[in-house]
Amino acid sequence: MKKGKRRLLLNAVILVAVLGLVAAACSSDDTSDTTTTTAAATTTAAETTMTAAATTTAAAETTTTEEMTAVVCEATIGLIAPITGPVAFIGEVQRNWAQYAVDVWNEGMGWDVKLIEGDNQFDIAQSATVAAQFIDNTDILAVVGPAGSDQVDAAGAVFDAGDPNLTFISPSSTRIGIAEKYTGMLRTVPTDADQGPSTAAFFVESGATKIFVVDDQSSYSTGLADVAIAALEAAGVEVSRESVSQDVTDFSALVATIADDTDWVYLPWQVAANGQIFGNQMAEQGKNMPIFGSDGMDSGDFTIAGSIIAAFAGDIAGIPESVPLLEGFLAQYPETNTFGPPVFAAVTTELEAIDALCQSGNELTRENVLGAIKAINRPASILGQPISFAPSGDLIGGRFFFFEIQEDGTKTPVGG
Amino acid sequence: MEFFLQQTLNGLTLGSVYALLAIGYSMVYGILKLLNFAHGEVYMFGAFAGYGVLTLLGGPASPVVPVWLLLILMFLGAVVVSSAIGVGMERFAYRPLRKSSRIAPLISAIGVSFFLQASALYLFTAGFRTYDTPKLIDISTGIPVGPIRVWLVRVLVIVGTAVLMVVLTLWVNRSRTGKAVRAVSFDREAAEMMGVNVNHVIVVTFLIGSALAGIAGVMTALVFGRIFHFMGFIAGLKAFTAAVVGGIGSIPGAMLGGLLIGMAEAYTTGYISSTFQNLIVFGLLIVVLLIKPTGLLGKPQLVKV
Repeated sequence: MKKGKRRLLLNAVILVAVLGLVAAACSSDDTSDTTTTTAAATTTAAETTMTAAATTTAAAETTTTEEMTAVVCEATIGLIAPITGPVAFIGEVQRNWAQYAVDVWNEGMGWDVKLIEGDNQFDIAQSATVAAQFIDNTDILAVVGPAGSDQVDAAGAVFDAGDPNLTFISPSSTRIGIAEKYTGMLRTVPTDADQGPSTAAFFVESGATKIFVVDDQSSYSTGLADVAIAALEAAGVEVSRESVSQDVTDFSALVATIADDTDWVYLPWQVAANGQIFGNQMAEQGKNMPIFGSDGMDSGDFTIAGSIIAAFAGDIAGIPESVPLLEGFLAQYPETNTFGPPVFAAVTTELEAIDALCQSGNELTRENVLGAIKAINRPASILGQPISFAPSGDLIGGRFFFFEIQEDGTKTPVGG
Repeated sequence: MEFFLQQTLNGLTLGSVYALLAIGYSMVYGILKLLNFAHGEVYMFGAFAGYGVLTLLGGPASPVVPVWLLLILMFLGAVVVSSAIGVGMERFAYRPLRKSSRIAPLISAIGVSFFLQASALYLFTAGFRTYDTPKLIDISTGIPVGPIRVWLVRVLVIVGTAVLMVVLTLWVNRSRTGKAVRAVSFDREAAEMMGVNVNHVIVVTFLIGSALAGIAGVMTALVFGRIFHFMGFIAGLKAFTAAVVGGIGSIPGAMLGGLLIGMAEAYTTGYISSTFQNLIVFGLLIVVLLIKPTGLLGKPQLVKV
């Protein structure tokens, strides 16, 4: 081939590669939108939606909004989330929803609430460091996070030692009993005490006699698997259990060990994309039993038709009052997952409590804020359920919902 | 028998990817005595480049070109991007430190690794991307091997890797540049004195090693689906293990090490438990090094006294 033509071909290949990298940067996975409402397309529409969302928040999330807008208050909320690191896909969504909650509140209430981010990288040591930083920052009245139960333990110990009055609401830690260990801890999600037995009951009612369980070695997953398996074995169901790291990308060897007479494969996993790979590799090897995923699998990354997934709450896309909020969020941010809405609920719960103190002329101290949050009784929330807390710090009335994934990617409620 | 065949196939697929990655580690170590810890990130960028080309050309559900051409372009895109990153790394992060102590380029490599991870996080965000390969090549498409059916994508990975290894071996042993690479790896100063352009050889080595990493990235994503900014870390660690088990600095050793590690993972999961996968793999590393410190195909280094 002549030199000139060779150079031309090389330039063409380089151009395609560079365009490819740009396309990868600009693209997002289509599957994350399959179960959510289409977002507004233009900036004007987005602003309108956000204003509507702010109004909807004020109306849907509190019964006393009109009475509470008299005084404009200042507040700073801290967020501990894995914004970078191995589970940054969780932290990014949590960060975005936290910022969105603050923006909606500021727009609707005329405040200037600030959000301070603390990136714990899903690391225990880093969680403790960020917790210490937040204690020292006296502007911070309340905290949302951390995400994982191990990280909650690390931060909780620091909070209890440094300032037990500093509220921290975890939007995703479901380990049983963790909330009552720490003075300031609350959570906006149900616990594995709800999800595990409910899941086991679902299997038993479906007539299953053999379940294959794989945990992903996270505290969330192993805790959930433990509770579910205990309930299943008590009901006389045969359970095979395996364990695999979240970093694994190839599950084929594990899939090959699934017995052909298995009724269900239960994946209490945090990473829905891993569940998708697992399901694809099951299909590859002719393993046709359905998958049941925990709430961590409730994401557009997992779309295996016929699978069942658990969710913290009803799909907020199916809650009419929450749809404008969701649309407003998706107008600004590229994607969401199950970890997002509980963050919104946590931030707005803290802000409502601060607002109540402010309006009644009480001093905004961490102790007062904690007391107000513990006593809060919100009749509605983005999660489609009221928000109030038991003395243990757990969400009252929290329960899990089950959905079946359809061929077109939508989810229909089942059992639960 | 069916179960054994399935696990063997699983191990071969995984081992092929590790082998391609391990070759890059071995080649760079062979000529520079440098452990390029950023190699896993080169593999990650290759996977993203392939994804970008896939997206650009219509996506897996409705590609605008035939599937065979799409795959070629994806691999080419990955090769170009990964090679560019590899060559850039060598030029700006390692070459200036060539005359310094051994630790300096190692620290630089770790820094480059974190830099590339953070860059990927910034460029692509933390969300997972998926090639969604079953939409491109149906899962039922495959060839029968005894009682099991092997998905076409796995055939592509295994056969493709074998072809690349043969081509690389022939190139290293028969070509002029390959001879120069072997010479530099044996004795850099002597090779320079014999007229070999050492800088050129080092650049070519990085280029080839990185290209193979890019190809491995696309293969991984085709078979296993998801890509994200952190995917290079564990893959790089396993590939490094494979390179050491096979004999760091030895290309055939890297190939053997990769396949061994892949098979060890598959058989451990299949016959013992997935919980012990990493235990067995890294245990294998320790055992091999205790019995043969230079690795299975590594040669003892002669030191002048």
